[in-house]
Amino acid sequence: MDPLRAQQLAAELEVEMMADMYNRMTQACHRKCVPPLYKESELSKGECVCLDRCVAKYLEVHERMGKKLTELSLQDEELLKRMQQGSGSA
Amino acid sequence: MDPAAEHRQQLRSLRDFLLVYNRMTELCFRHCVCSLNYRLLTGREESCLDSCAARLVRANHRLMSAYVGLVPALLQRRAAEHGAAGPPAVPGPAPGPAAPSPDAPGAGT
Repeated sequence: MDPLRAQQLAAELEVEMMADMYNRMTQACHRKCVPPLYKESELSKGECVCLDRCVAKYLEVHERMGKKLTELSLQDEELLKRMQQGSGSA
Repeated sequence: MDPAAEHRQQLRSLRDFLLVYNRMTELCFRHCVCSLNYRLLTGREESCLDSCAARLVRANHRLMSAYVGLVPALLQRRAAEHGAAGPPAVPGPAPGPAAPSPDAPGAGT
């Protein structure tokens, strides 16, 4: 597979994942900030502020989880490498 | 495995990993972020998120090891049953999930 095609596929995957993240965020923030009371069609000021903060927090959580996952994967890789070296020298 | 198939496999693994990442974010956000009075994460929320991430990754590893341990016996049993009954009408499911990509949390505890 040529590098350009690989790049294109990776970009498509990223877009798909961002869309998935967006959908989950929408669902989560709606659940947290918009109570299921449908008397009024307008959002209250409190609900608007809640949604703004929810989005900010969700994106921060997303970033934090990414860093944590990378950290844990690196730790696992290190452990695996050490185990392989240990079994190789034994 | 030819390079194209290997690349497709890698892409599938990466896709799985990214989906797990998104699901983890949603789950941990739901459980750890309770108050939306502030824009920034509190210390309590941060430590909850760190613990949540680590627990989910370890649970995933354990699940994977258990699955990998149990599936061969299950498939053997299924094959034996089909062999005794005759050829199956519908082909069985593909054995096992896609192997994790190199940058995904490695298997093993």
